[in-house]
Amino acid sequence: MTAIAHPDRNFKYWLISPAIFLLLLVGLFPLIFSLVVSFMRVTMLETDTSFAGLANYAQLFHDARLWQSLLHTVLIMVIALPVELLLGLAMAYLFLDRLPGRQLLVSLLVLPTIISPIVAGATWRLLFDNRYGPINQIIGWFAGHPVPALWTVNPGLVYPAIIFCEIWQWTPFMFLILLAALSNVDRSLTEAAEIDGARFWRSFRYVVLPAIFPVMSIAILIRGLDLFRIFDIIWALTAGGPGTMTETISVYTYVQGFRQFETSYTAAIAFLVIALLTVIVTWAIRRMGLAK
Amino acid sequence: MSIKEREDTMINRRDFGKISLSAGLVATMGRPAWAASAADTAVKAAQQYKGRTITIVWEAGLQSLDPTHFSGPKWKELTGMDVKVVEVATAEMFTKIMQDYKSGAGAYDALNVIPAWMPDLAQAGALEALDPYVEKYGYASELQTIAPTYRDNQMKVGGKIYGFPDDGDVFLMYYRRDLFEDPAVQKAFKDKTGKDLAVPKTWADFDVVGAGLTDVLKDKGIYGASFFRQPPYAMYMFEERFRNEGGKFFDPDTMKATINSDIGVKVFTAMRNENRFMPPGVEQFGFVENLATFLQGQSAMTISWPPYGRWAEGYGTDQEALNWVPKTTIAGKVGYALPPGGHPELAAGFALSVSSTSKNKDAAYLFIQWLNSEDVSRQRVQLPYTLRDPFRDSHYSDPGYLALWPNAKDYLAALKQASQTGLLDLSLLQTDKYEEVMRQAISKLWAGDDPKTILDAAAAQWNDITQKIGVDKQKMVYAAWAAESGAYPKT
Repeated sequence: MTAIAHPDRNFKYWLISPAIFLLLLVGLFPLIFSLVVSFMRVTMLETDTSFAGLANYAQLFHDARLWQSLLHTVLIMVIALPVELLLGLAMAYLFLDRLPGRQLLVSLLVLPTIISPIVAGATWRLLFDNRYGPINQIIGWFAGHPVPALWTVNPGLVYPAIIFCEIWQWTPFMFLILLAALSNVDRSLTEAAEIDGARFWRSFRYVVLPAIFPVMSIAILIRGLDLFRIFDIIWALTAGGPGTMTETISVYTYVQGFRQFETSYTAAIAFLVIALLTVIVTWAIRRMGLAK
Repeated sequence: MSIKEREDTMINRRDFGKISLSAGLVATMGRPAWAASAADTAVKAAQQYKGRTITIVWEAGLQSLDPTHFSGPKWKELTGMDVKVVEVATAEMFTKIMQDYKSGAGAYDALNVIPAWMPDLAQAGALEALDPYVEKYGYASELQTIAPTYRDNQMKVGGKIYGFPDDGDVFLMYYRRDLFEDPAVQKAFKDKTGKDLAVPKTWADFDVVGAGLTDVLKDKGIYGASFFRQPPYAMYMFEERFRNEGGKFFDPDTMKATINSDIGVKVFTAMRNENRFMPPGVEQFGFVENLATFLQGQSAMTISWPPYGRWAEGYGTDQEALNWVPKTTIAGKVGYALPPGGHPELAAGFALSVSSTSKNKDAAYLFIQWLNSEDVSRQRVQLPYTLRDPFRDSHYSDPGYLALWPNAKDYLAALKQASQTGLLDLSLLQTDKYEEVMRQAISKLWAGDDPKTILDAAAAQWNDITQKIGVDKQKMVYAAWAAESGAYPKT
């Protein structure tokens, strides 16, 4: 009776404790365990798992392949992200007006985003195939002769191929988010700007852009993070090749962890990536004013 | 498609029962009446484990149709033991085996292991040494009838048996006999090159024949040769050719990599130059693309694993499981030879092992002894859909196999020859790290980088790997590997 009349003030904590425990178990424990492992000598192939101090972190600074893979990641990001943003914005503007069949077209345009990236990559690999792929065949029709372009082998073609696939798959994501943002822009403001003589660009720059900026920032952030961890399309298309020319940080981490079995070093790479992303995301959030 | 439907379209177990009965009779005639076969011994001993389940790791895809459709059900019928097959993609097999071992889960009892992994797996302790079981269950004499290259090179680590060679993977050259014997082609070739047309025995000959045949036959849509050039396959071809040309992987005293020697550069340069007389885009060819090219009659020569030879003759390709294999247009027109140099790469293969963490070690061992035995393996290598290739002396002369298609005799003769001269895959501690470097080197080669620069970088990476593993430790493993009969061609 007493318990009912005067419930334990801490009872609510008891109620949520299983959930908290579960979250810590699946979230915090692996993180801490990985941190511990990054200071050890754990590999799948050796029995020595002794303490390695900062050796794995020191190795990061001497690992040219790691920094190259970061550079490849950044390269893909700085090309694909602006293109996806601009194309997405242009498409969103196009679909802002009530076009006939708009709903159907929007649904069709969004289809690539619902395909698994690894499936998309494998499909594009077939499309790019020199012998059986339709892309070379179509180019050949225009060129008037067979075009034996090796999209996944030729160093001059691999990046265009990867970036094209990436843009094909993820521009619809930008389009969808920006379409939603543009749809919510107060029409009376743009109409007032037009009446005051503002042309399209000025109206966009000073009226529309500020209105859609918060949503656009989120879209850029999400896609930026996605591009930073790009793996599937590259793995399916080139597996990081030729050589390590298209190896991104995610591909390199996978290779180290699951092909070379360098468990501790992989953990160190993971923490480097976490540190880099924390700095970049914090900067981006402040810069975009998303924290306000 | 249901399993039932698939079974209906395949050679069923009853058919194999007939084959095995006749094969068994032949085998029994050569065995003393009082001696039980290894298969019988295994079955008898395994009956005490009736009701248990053995879990075996098997390569996913066609290979695993063997235990799921043939050997597993047959074992159940004979012993009352169930066989659970864990299908794993080749690229994941090593990882899965090691994960199971490291976690101590003991999820697997028996394993399919690529022999090049054995030093790593044995050193880690993941594999059970099989010598006591071989003795206990009287398998030693039947082990001796495994073809020499596999028996002598793919069974032991440090003098102990860790796996039974169970798949005669080896590269063979397949060529269009009809073209090589066509007087018009012979004359055109002679006119172009000034030489007589013959199946090449050296790589220098191959370059002349390949380029010459392309010149002569290209108008008919036929190229002199085509190879699989994707790095995982081309890596094996480099390993083979490099050694046939006299190359050595390491300096045995210092363990410095010597793949960037003049021989290495010569082989790399020639490999790239040869692409010019192969179909456009050959750099992207994998197993299937190259198979399609050859089976559709678009190349005069190719090198690959044994299934190419069977499928070129149309053997088994009417089976549902093989409906992805392009229809052959060259049945009856194919010749078989050793690749130039005469020492073909064994290129992967599989051995059967027992997991050291298994809770059913004896039962698992008995299952692999039975699978690997003379009687049962003879049936398994004739399953048209499972990619297991002949690996015992008796397989090459089996009357049933010899009768499978008109020139199966030539095919088996070439395989037998390859089984006597084949070259082992490089097998060291952490072999895959070295192989990964080679795969990258090959992809750079196709991308147009300078062969010498690529190989210098690859050798430097190999040296770093060796340094990290430990020079002395790796030196011992390399010395043991290099001492194997199939490591380097005998001079």
